[in-house]
Amino acid sequence: MTIRRALACGLGRGRLEITHLLRTPREVISQLSTPIAFVVLAMVNDDAIPGSALPMANVFIAGGVAAVVVQTCLIALPQVLATEREEGTLLRQRTAPEGMTAYLIGKTCLLLTQVLIGIALVLAGGAVFAGSGLPAGLGDWLTLLWVLPLGLLAMAPIGAALGAVLPNAREALAWSMMPVLGVMAISGIFFSITSLPEAVQTISQLFPPKWIAQGVRSALLPDSALAAETGHSWQHLQALGVTAAWAVAGFTLAPRVLRRMARRESGSRLAERRTAAPA
Amino acid sequence: MLPTPTKAAEDSATAVAVSDLRMRYGDRDVLCGVDLTVRRGEVFALLGPNGAGKSTTIEILEGFRRRSGGEVSVLGADPDTAGPAWRGELGIILQSWRDHPRWRVRELLEHFATYYEHPRDVDELLERLGLQEQAAQECQKLSGGQRRRVDVALGIVGNPRLLFLDEPTTGFDPVARREFHELVEQLRDEGMTMVLTTHDLHEAERLADRIAVLIAGRVAACGTAAELAVSARAQAEVVWTDDGQTRRQITPDPSQLVWELQQRLGGPIPGLEVHRPTLEDIYIRMIREGETQ
Repeated sequence: MTIRRALACGLGRGRLEITHLLRTPREVISQLSTPIAFVVLAMVNDDAIPGSALPMANVFIAGGVAAVVVQTCLIALPQVLATEREEGTLLRQRTAPEGMTAYLIGKTCLLLTQVLIGIALVLAGGAVFAGSGLPAGLGDWLTLLWVLPLGLLAMAPIGAALGAVLPNAREALAWSMMPVLGVMAISGIFFSITSLPEAVQTISQLFPPKWIAQGVRSALLPDSALAAETGHSWQHLQALGVTAAWAVAGFTLAPRVLRRMARRESGSRLAERRTAAPA
Repeated sequence: MLPTPTKAAEDSATAVAVSDLRMRYGDRDVLCGVDLTVRRGEVFALLGPNGAGKSTTIEILEGFRRRSGGEVSVLGADPDTAGPAWRGELGIILQSWRDHPRWRVRELLEHFATYYEHPRDVDELLERLGLQEQAAQECQKLSGGQRRRVDVALGIVGNPRLLFLDEPTTGFDPVARREFHELVEQLRDEGMTMVLTTHDLHEAERLADRIAVLIAGRVAACGTAAELAVSARAQAEVVWTDDGQTRRQITPDPSQLVWELQQRLGGPIPGLEVHRPTLEDIYIRMIREGETQ
């Protein structure tokens, strides 16, 4: 009974948070900026994928999809968590029965909505304005259907844990931005990865973004584009292995970190932070 | 073992029972053996200077902080292990909050009502707190006083049996403070048990049925305002005129002294004044004594 109520409260919370997102112009613009940037990048670039006659637009669109997932999970999510911790939103949740469960359910709803809207915009924008392809058949759509959820499962818990441990929203941004952009830069999101030194390519293979981008490319592009891929194959097995490993690690780590964060929230801690934070 | 009838009656009359509560941060003892009993239906104030351990105590009772030692029972359960059903019986009003800035007042209250078994009616709550006009406003656009009323509404939306208020009127102007006090009195009349912390003696005196004075992690005194005066062995001062001379005498029992004087003088006592120390005098003395210990 309590579980059903927690679920209902969490879904209600998710619905309201989505409403708030949509009625705040600043949020809508920041939601749209990544998809638009990648669609524009795809539109203005007329190059072909190295070793093929296929347009680079597909690489940017696949990169955009990965970028939406990575950015929402690792930049937006930690920031929101740190902000809501500072404001006392989390503490308020703690005062209500099953409030933290409802909070996490609500955040999951919001995150899924943000990611789905972002991905849809990038794919549709690319197809309409930049001539990138949509997945050609059922198999390609199915590829997206495992690559993207697995990518989310790999990234979201890490982002949540990050938001829970970083002291405040400003530091959350500072600490997450550079490494995330760094990993994105070497993951074939902004350009084809084969132009990078071998050592850098190897490092990028340790992180999910490369595999999310590559998985999306495998759904958008025919096999004739494989010349520009590491190993000259779509490497689905490796993609599955690396993202699943991150998902397992994330789901082992994040609940502990989040529980610890929830346990630590109290009125006096909130007051302490308030005094410490610049007004 | 079955509880004896007296014990059971005692339990149902007790909202909070604390014995030998200890809290230690590193090598610093914040609470050194606090004993408290809050009866159902009463307003109980934890009064003390800053740093006395009031917030720590209330956060332990709320289940937000794990104690280092001692026994704690809140509505019959240990806050460290109690579940969501227990939490649903509590209401909590903390020091100034800025949470849920983008939520509108009504939707925030309606959302929080869904967490509870028997929530209050949101419209009735908005009306009662004078928030009808702000119902559609975002919390971040409210004035300080309106925001605090939203905090109060959120604290009682679940229709709690026990309400915690941590420094509830800090930063209030006199009008807001008065309104808040009236609200607390209304809630008490409805039978809600309340535990509040304050460093304001007058607030404690005005609102609380009983006051515990917490100084340096210990309960220095506990009781009604009148009982506190006695427990602090308050010395009253009796002044009268005798043969044109002003006489004064310090006594723990001014009534007895006045009676004796009347008998000695065989009638009314000229220039009689009896000064009882105010609670404030007593409180200040306790704080000073706590500091010198």
